[in-house]
Amino acid sequence: MKRRYFIKTITAGSAAAVLPLSLTGIGKLYAQKAPPDAVWVSNGEPNDLVARALKELGGMSRFISKGDVVVVKPNIGWDRNPSLAATTNPDVLAAVIKLCYEAGAKEVKVFDRTCNEPRRCYNNSKIEETAKKAGANVSQMRNNKYREIKIDGRMIDSWEIYEEYLDADKVINLPIAKHHSLSKVTLGLKNLMGVMGGNRGSLHSNFSQKIVDIDRKILPTLNIIDAYRTLVANGPQGGNPDHVKLTKTLIASPCIVTADKLALELFGHTINQVEHIRLAAEQGLAKYDPDKANVKRVNLG
Amino acid sequence: MAKLRRIVQVLFLLFFILLFIKARYPYDEVKLPSDLGLRFSPLIPLFDFIDSWSLSLRYWPALIILFLTPFLGRFFCGWICPLGTTIDINSKILKSPSNKISKKWQKLRFFKYALLVSFIILAFFSINGWGYFDPLSIFNRALSILLYPLATLLVENGLLALSDIPFLEDAAYGIYDPFKNHIMPEGQAFYQHVFWIGLFFAFILGLEKLSRRFWCRNICPAGALLGFLSQFRFYERIVGPACPVCNKCQVECKMNAIPEDDISLTNKAECIECFSCGEVCPPKYKAISYRWRWKPYHSPVDYNRRQFLKTSAGSAAAVGLLSIGLVNKDENDKMIRPPGSLPEDEFRDRCIRCMECVRICESNGGCLQPDRIHNDITDLWLPVAVMRSGYCEYNCNLCGQVCPTEAILPLVLEDKKKVPMGLAHFDKNVCIPYARNEDCLVCEEHCPTSDKAIKFDIREVVLPDGSVKKVKYPYVVKDLCIGCGICEDKCPLIGKPGIFVNTENQRRLTKTQLA
Repeated sequence: MKRRYFIKTITAGSAAAVLPLSLTGIGKLYAQKAPPDAVWVSNGEPNDLVARALKELGGMSRFISKGDVVVVKPNIGWDRNPSLAATTNPDVLAAVIKLCYEAGAKEVKVFDRTCNEPRRCYNNSKIEETAKKAGANVSQMRNNKYREIKIDGRMIDSWEIYEEYLDADKVINLPIAKHHSLSKVTLGLKNLMGVMGGNRGSLHSNFSQKIVDIDRKILPTLNIIDAYRTLVANGPQGGNPDHVKLTKTLIASPCIVTADKLALELFGHTINQVEHIRLAAEQGLAKYDPDKANVKRVNLG
Repeated sequence: MAKLRRIVQVLFLLFFILLFIKARYPYDEVKLPSDLGLRFSPLIPLFDFIDSWSLSLRYWPALIILFLTPFLGRFFCGWICPLGTTIDINSKILKSPSNKISKKWQKLRFFKYALLVSFIILAFFSINGWGYFDPLSIFNRALSILLYPLATLLVENGLLALSDIPFLEDAAYGIYDPFKNHIMPEGQAFYQHVFWIGLFFAFILGLEKLSRRFWCRNICPAGALLGFLSQFRFYERIVGPACPVCNKCQVECKMNAIPEDDISLTNKAECIECFSCGEVCPPKYKAISYRWRWKPYHSPVDYNRRQFLKTSAGSAAAVGLLSIGLVNKDENDKMIRPPGSLPEDEFRDRCIRCMECVRICESNGGCLQPDRIHNDITDLWLPVAVMRSGYCEYNCNLCGQVCPTEAILPLVLEDKKKVPMGLAHFDKNVCIPYARNEDCLVCEEHCPTSDKAIKFDIREVVLPDGSVKKVKYPYVVKDLCIGCGICEDKCPLIGKPGIFVNTENQRRLTKTQLA
C-alpha cells in the first residue's frame, strides 16, 4: 500500500507541476509555432466570436492574401428572419467580411442559391443589407454562370458549379448549424450545395455519397460554422422560435470535416450517426485526422 | 387641345405601366396601390353594383369618370384609356384607312351596346363575361402575360448574349445589373395560354387595319356605357359659318363621329373628344370651336329595340348553355385558387381576369397562371395555382392586396399562413422512397409550416441483395398542410410529381368572415 501511495503522489505531483506549464509556457510556444486545427469559441457576441476565432487560428491573413477575390458563402436558403436561425447570422457574416478586407482582400463576394424566392431570402435574412454595409458585393446567382466540372466521384460524374465560386482566389464557407431531417444536420459540407447548379433535389437520394463526391472538388479555404443560434428541430427551415437555441458559439477550421465533426457536439450526435460527415472523413476530405485534431476551446463568458 | 390630349394620353399610359411594374415584391401598398389603375375601369362600379347593390367608394377613379361623362362625353376613351392609347399608336403603324373606306363598318356600332347589355344580363345570373372585354383588364392582361415576359426574354437574353463577347462583357453587365435591380428583377415568366391571350390582343390591334379605333367604335363595352351616358353631353363642337365643308374633319375623325350628311353635328355617343377635328381644320378657316351649351342637342345611341330584344334572347340562351355543361369533379380538383379567394361561385363572378395577381405572384413563388378551360368557358383566365411550375410563397400575401375587385380578399400574413389552398397528396407509384426504397425527403425539407405538414416513418426494407436498409417514408398531416405546393414544385422527379396538391380541404372566405 505504501508503494502505491507513493506512486500516486508522484504522479499527481508531476501532473500538478506539468499541467500549468503545458497550459502557459508550452501552450504559448506551441501556439506561436502552429495554430490549432480548429477552434471552438463560446459565450460571446457575433463580433467577438469571429474576432477571437480568427485570432486563435493565426489571423485572417493566414488564409487571405493581399488582392484576393474572396467568396464568403453563407446560408441564405430560406425566406426567414435571422432570429429563426434558418439562415446565417448577418452579424457573423459582416464580421467575417470586414476581416477579409482588413487582410487585404480585393473583393468579397456573397451569394447563395436559395430555396425560396431569392430576393425574399436575401432580404428577410438581413444578409443583403448587412453584407453590403460591410462592403461585400452581394449578388443574385445567374442561371448562365454555372460551369460543368468533372467530378469523377463514386456516384457523380460531373456537376454544374457556380463560376464565381470556382474563379475565386479564396473561399470561406459560412454555414449555420441546423437540424435536417434527411442528413440529420446541415453544416459545412451541406452548405456547399448553395453553389451547385442543376437539379439539386436529385442529390437527395444517396445524399451522403453524392455530396461527398462533389464537395471533394470544391473544398473551401476556411470553414466557419455559425452557431450563435442553433436550429435544433423542424430543420432546415424552422419557423418556430421554440426550436431555436441560443448557443452563442462559433466553430472555425480550415478543415471542413473537422469543423463539421466538432459542431455535432451541439446536437449531441457522434460522427457515426451522421453518414455524410462520416463518409467525408473516411474518403479523405479531411485535412487532419478529425479524431486527433488539435482543438482550441475558448470561453469568452 | 389635341397636343395636350396626346401628352395626357402618354402620361396616363406611363402611369398605368408604372402601376403595373410596381405590382411585385417588395410591395408597398400604402403609397400607391397598384390595382388603382384597374379601378379606373368605368365598368367596375356598374357590375359591382349589380353584384352587391351598393356603390363602393373603392372605385373612386371610375366613379369620377362616370360622374363627368354626362357633361364631358367619352373623354375617358380619348384621353385616359391605356388600351385606347395603345390602339392609337398601333393604328399609326398599321396605317388604318380613312373614314371614306372604313365607313362600311359603321353598321357594327350597335354591337358594343349589345355586348354591354348581354354582359349585364349575364351578371344578373352571376356570370362574369365583361371582365374579358374590359379595356383596363385587357391592357393589364396583355402587359402581364405577353409584353413583360417578352421584354424580359429580349432584354435579358440580349444582354447575356452580348456579355459572351469578351470585350463587351463589362459593358453588357453594366447595363444588365441596374436593369435587373430596378426594372425587371424577376426571372423569366412562363405562362400557359399565352397563345390565346396573345391572339385576343393581336385581334384587337389587328382590327385597326379595318378602321381607326375599330375596337372602341364597335366592340368595347366600356365605350358603350360611356357612350350611353354622353348622349346629351354639354360640351359641344361648334362649326362656324367660315366652314367651307372640306370634310377633312369628317374623314379624319378617329371614331367616325361626324355624320357625312351634316358635318356641323357630332355623334355624342361616339365622339371621344380627341380634338383632332379642330387640329385638321385648315388654319385659314378655323371654323371649329368647342363650347359649353346649356341646351345640348341629343344624339341617340345606335341601338334599337329590336336589337335589344335579340340581345336579350341571345343572352338568355347563353345563360342556359353555361348552366348545362358537365361539371367534372376530376377537373374541379385542379382549380386551386389563390389564398383568400371568395367561395368559387362568387369568385368567378367578381374576378375580371386582369392578371394582376398572376403578375405579382410571378415575382414571388410564381404558382399563379391564367387558367385554361376545365368545364366551361368561364373557367378561362381565372387565376389558378399550378404548383408544378411554382408554389405559394409562405411569407407572401400580395395577390390579395392587388385584387381590384376583392375577388381575392386581402388577408393579413398571419391569417394567410393558416388558410389552406388545398391539400398535398403522395403519389406512391412514383414518389422515390415508395417506388424505389431510396431516401429523398425534398418535400419535407421545403415544407414551410413550423410544425412540418410532411412527416416521415423510418422503416426497414430488404434490398435485392438481401441486406437491410432503413428508409424514410414521408406522409402528409392534413391538419398542418396549407396546400402551398412547394413540395410539388420542388419534387425532384423530372415529370409527374411524387406529391401533388388538389383542392381538397381548401378554405374559402367571405368578406364577413374576414371582418
